[in-house]
Amino acid sequence: MQPITEESRNLNLPVSPPPTSQSDALPADAGAGSAPAGRHAEHSVRRAGDGTIVETIKLTKRFGTFDALVDCSLQVSRGEVFGLLGPNGAGKTTLIRSMLGFLQPTSGHCVIAGHDNRHSSVRLREQVAYLPGDARVPRHMRGAGVLRFFAEMHPVGDLARSREVAERLELDTRRRVGSMSTGMRQKLALSVVLGLQTPVIILDEPTANLDPTIRAEVLKLVVEARQAGRTVLLSSHVLGEIEDTCQRVVFLRRGHLVKELAMADLFQRHRITAGPPIGGGARGNAVESASPTPKIQIEVPEPWRTQVQCETVREEGRTRIRIETAGDLAPLLPWLDSLNLTNLRIEPLGLRAVYDSVHHGEDTPGSEDEL
Amino acid sequence: MIHRVLMRKYIGQSMLLFLACATTLFAFAWVRVWVVSLLDMGQFKTILNQFREFEKFAPIEFDALFTYAGRVGMTYDEPIVILCTVVWCISRGSDVVSGELNRGTLEMMLAQPIRRITLLATHATVSVAGLALLCLMVWGGITVGIEATTVTETVDPPSFRIPMINIDVPLTVADPVTEEIPLRQRVNASTYAASTFSLFAFGFFLLGLSSMFSTIDRYRWRTVGAVVGVYILQLVMFGLGKAAASLEWLLSMTFFSCYRPQKMTSLVTSDGLGAPWSLATPIPDGTFPPLVYPLVLITLGVIFYGIGATCFSRRDLPAPL
Repeated sequence: MQPITEESRNLNLPVSPPPTSQSDALPADAGAGSAPAGRHAEHSVRRAGDGTIVETIKLTKRFGTFDALVDCSLQVSRGEVFGLLGPNGAGKTTLIRSMLGFLQPTSGHCVIAGHDNRHSSVRLREQVAYLPGDARVPRHMRGAGVLRFFAEMHPVGDLARSREVAERLELDTRRRVGSMSTGMRQKLALSVVLGLQTPVIILDEPTANLDPTIRAEVLKLVVEARQAGRTVLLSSHVLGEIEDTCQRVVFLRRGHLVKELAMADLFQRHRITAGPPIGGGARGNAVESASPTPKIQIEVPEPWRTQVQCETVREEGRTRIRIETAGDLAPLLPWLDSLNLTNLRIEPLGLRAVYDSVHHGEDTPGSEDEL
Repeated sequence: MIHRVLMRKYIGQSMLLFLACATTLFAFAWVRVWVVSLLDMGQFKTILNQFREFEKFAPIEFDALFTYAGRVGMTYDEPIVILCTVVWCISRGSDVVSGELNRGTLEMMLAQPIRRITLLATHATVSVAGLALLCLMVWGGITVGIEATTVTETVDPPSFRIPMINIDVPLTVADPVTEEIPLRQRVNASTYAASTFSLFAFGFFLLGLSSMFSTIDRYRWRTVGAVVGVYILQLVMFGLGKAAASLEWLLSMTFFSCYRPQKMTSLVTSDGLGAPWSLATPIPDGTFPPLVYPLVLITLGVIFYGIGATCFSRRDLPAPL
């Protein structure tokens, strides 16, 4: 495992959200803060002024002796699509529900658009449209009635917008909720949530139970929300969706925030798989050991040692070299060429590899934003 | 404190149950008054006198059964009236938190910018208003019944009393003369205002109790089970307290002791319309003035609501099942 250096840390630059006119049009108190007391609160207000719209400060939730969430601190910038990743039971939903006040945090707190969840929970929820992981709406109503009800419940509810979203999701709102399928009810809940004109949207598994076409439409709506300057927190197990929509993700494992990753950095990560150098033995900087199980040792040039990780693997009975890189690939190409590798294949590393490594407590090169 | 949109939703949600209970109560109360006109309780006087030792089990003294007002007043102790009231109170009270949690709809509801107390207060407003209307339905049914019913009464024939032995001898051998009299000439509907208030207090207590259980639970079936359990336990305590002198102390521990609609009717009959609203004079065979009893129930209901509000605003809400 490569040590984290200042140089490698620079590879994980936070994504700057696109400045938009819509973001400026957010409520006047969004980001101004409601002057909560305490050191963290001052910090929050300062961060909010810096463009952070969502911030959790050492948020902790304990159920008896079980730590569901431990010292979870994160910041989300205005206009960003922020992903929450982690296996089942990692604490994603607990984090969201603690932020919104469904759960009383054991310690720590959360500030959204300047509103602290300890002091102004209602004002905080005015800034948020939240889709629960298992969204259920009153069954005795018709779809249209549900849209109207929630549009009237929320100060920034927009019935026309909700209807428009429902239409885009191909939902028949004339039906009673009780007679709708699970997918239809999910569409209805999405229409409710995406119809609200709040600066922050929190979506917990938004595409669950949806067909591929509607999934794509939902992701399109998320991207549109970002383009309109709104901030989206997205929790999902579908890595492709996260890759397609998010600028930054955090990984949770057993209640801990274990990794933060900028997607722009992820897209600069590659996996190079190749056969041994032509003719075997030493070629260039590659040296094949004489052990019964051939182990090819590759000497990585000094400037790239923090960015490049090499290993020998067995694939279908053959020895293969696997090189994982972080950062710009272009300067590495001459060095790769000098190794005289065979059957070279270069592929983007993808979120899957990072997710697996985090899940198993491993690490990947350039994974410097350990939390 | 009260959310208009939420209120509309709760009204829509409870409308079917309300209409069913209201129709039943109104129709039953009306029919019950009509049935009163069919029975001449004077014929049962001798029979009832043989059961005087069981009078203590009855919610009213037997003598009241021989008056129209007393018999109409029994409507408030009829199982159907109690059942409808209990069904409304337990079903609405248990719905507020554990019902919504059970259905998984509370998450979306509280994702909106409303305080938990607002949700509870709005729900309570609709439930209490519904209860008040149901009680008025009973009174309304009785009023309509009184207005629409006529009773047949036998006119006492002229007679002669034999001195010394005090025996009345009729002066005619013809069939007794009967006459139709509107019931309103015998019973005033306003007699039952205090009884209606008593029924409301009884329901309010149950609403508060079931709402409190609902705010601390996550399963509606368990909330309903707990409230019904308490209800039955209290009923058994009431029965035992009435049955055995050694267990009379149980009567002071059951809320059924505070539900005395027929006593209110008796007070009106004996002391006038204002008698049940007194906070000064204790009732006969009772410890407190008549108005104290419903007020105790209402106070307990308010306390339950207070405890419920405190628990609800502090608790963790589990994710939908």
